[in-house]
Amino acid sequence: MGNRAEEDYNFVFKVVLIGESGVGKTNLLSRFTRNEFSHDSRTTIGVEFSTRTVMLGTAAVKAQIWDTAGLERYRAITSAYYRGAVGALLVFDLTKHQTYAVVERWLKELYDHAEATIVVMLVGNKSDLQQAREVPTEEARMFAENNGLLFLETSALDSTNVELAFETVLKEIFSKVSKQRQNSSRTNAIALGRAQAGQEPGPGEKRACCISL
Amino acid sequence: MAQALGEDLVQTLELQDDSSSLGSDSELSGPGPYRQADRYGFIGGSSAEPGPGHPPADLIRQREMKWVEMTSHWEKTMSRRYKKVKTQCRKGIPSALRSRCWPLLCGAHVCQNKSPCTYEQLAKAPGDPQWMETISRDLHRQFPLHEMFVSPQGHGQQGLLQVLKAYTLHRPEQGYCQAQGPVAAVLLMHLPPEVSPPLCSFPLPRGSFCAPTQEAFWCLVQICEVYLPGYYGPHMEAVQLDAEVFMALLRRLLPRVHKHLQQVGVGPLLYMPEWFLCLFARSLPFPTVLRVWDTFFSEGVKVLFRVGLTLVRLALGTTEQRLACPGLLETLGALRAIPPTQLQEEVFMSQVHSVALSEQDLQREIKVQLARLPESTSGPPPRPQARLPGAQAIFEAQQLAGVQGGTRPEVPQIVVQPPEEPRPPRRKPQTRGKTFHGLLTRSRGPPLEGPPRSHRGSASFLDTRF
Repeated sequence: MGNRAEEDYNFVFKVVLIGESGVGKTNLLSRFTRNEFSHDSRTTIGVEFSTRTVMLGTAAVKAQIWDTAGLERYRAITSAYYRGAVGALLVFDLTKHQTYAVVERWLKELYDHAEATIVVMLVGNKSDLQQAREVPTEEARMFAENNGLLFLETSALDSTNVELAFETVLKEIFSKVSKQRQNSSRTNAIALGRAQAGQEPGPGEKRACCISL
Repeated sequence: MAQALGEDLVQTLELQDDSSSLGSDSELSGPGPYRQADRYGFIGGSSAEPGPGHPPADLIRQREMKWVEMTSHWEKTMSRRYKKVKTQCRKGIPSALRSRCWPLLCGAHVCQNKSPCTYEQLAKAPGDPQWMETISRDLHRQFPLHEMFVSPQGHGQQGLLQVLKAYTLHRPEQGYCQAQGPVAAVLLMHLPPEVSPPLCSFPLPRGSFCAPTQEAFWCLVQICEVYLPGYYGPHMEAVQLDAEVFMALLRRLLPRVHKHLQQVGVGPLLYMPEWFLCLFARSLPFPTVLRVWDTFFSEGVKVLFRVGLTLVRLALGTTEQRLACPGLLETLGALRAIPPTQLQEEVFMSQVHSVALSEQDLQREIKVQLARLPESTSGPPPRPQARLPGAQAIFEAQQLAGVQGGTRPEVPQIVVQPPEEPRPPRRKPQTRGKTFHGLLTRSRGPPLEGPPRSHRGSASFLDTRF
């Protein structure tokens, strides 16, 4: 995937990173958007975001990746985090079974707050720590299949599959958007792939006015 | 160019110095020899010398002497000369004296004197395993760039562990909130570990050669329970309330900025929680953080609102700035990218102190927003009336508790209903001949004079206020 200038894009896809505290969401974000990793990146308090524009075929897509605190109590103040998200990476740490055991709870949280058509990938992070693995690949893959989720194992530390994970989610979103555009006569009719204010609004479309909170 | 992640400005400066990625260098070879710690202890930080606007040495000396004098008769000072304390806090406490002044201002020393054995009992007790795991996982990532917190066995990380663990034992229903980490870290940086033997006979916890100060623990307690109750608990209900209050204040004080934020869909919960929960410890240059804390301990949560409003104005106050932010991402980016020169302590704090927001304004707005909050399906309602607005209120409450002979004032844990009635009137209401249309709240409180008495039978609703 190549990079394009930030101003020059056709689509904006909001993707959220969710999962337990400490599984590596922030490093997946920094690896994908800045090619950086830090063992000592700070705890995420509140909401972080970063972007990267990529080419999917001939379309320039700006991926807007959101990251937030994983700790339970932050749920109360981050519900608006999901608004407008068209993709999600549900991350667990494959060296800590507890972070996988709660994946269903995160899925529920996601479907409670986001649109039902959201593209979800289950991500088992920290694949570089093979000796410490606590979640077998097949088990997680089966769970993903049974629940209609994409699945990959990644390592933000050594970059394995990070690009692929985001690319796969974005492509899936893009293909959904393309289908919908073919099916519907109005542009920007539905939530998926809605253009942000400042871009090419469809005929009669209002600027994004949803107050987030 | 990707949008910047929210990072404090000391870190950003380091990234400019060093093109390698932040973690990999220290991961492989430890902080490099060229990475000296600055005067605050930040590795690679830029606060090498006092910056511009830093007061000259003799002025600092004068202030030190004032503080020594004030703190040696603290009760007298607080009873009779609080105004002087407030002014001196606004000017900034000299660094050498923060360790003495902060615990006095927040009342931690009274808590400690009243319960001298509590902390040691908590330190000795085993922590709840679930919290211990979570706390331990976060230790190396609270203030990773500060030399005190670099080593896992150092008294920075160990001190954090002890203080945070003690809090979860002290208030098990509250448990641990990640934002307590940076707050406790700043406290530990300024309150030196104990060197004198403990007051009680309990031995120090095994494995720690240097017990973290009790004062850091009690200061954290005061922040979490008295200054900002409802911030760090499982529901963070006060954060939600304060977000609404913040937005309402924006609407009143910075209406064009407020309108812009509405249009691009940026609500306060997208940027303000980290500010308020960490008392700006992750959002401002470190010297400015310390200045904010000096006034926060003195004047309470109002300071957080003033700082927040100032930041929003600096980021988005001009038309040009707003035009440069056509959407949500750009707007959030602008809030995180205020040039450091504008955040330099003297420049910044003088703007903070001149924000047109009084304690009364704030209380009024809190009442309005509290009434508007929807019934929450889970969690308790926020109780802003449990909040003490600064050092003077804390002093008075502790004095009162002392006179009544009780232990340190207990924060009530159970609330049946938040009080809805306004404060009782200072004079008996003039009720003869009046009809009542129920309790009416007005944006301004009732005047001290009673309503005019002569309009029997034609009383307008305005006459029925208390």
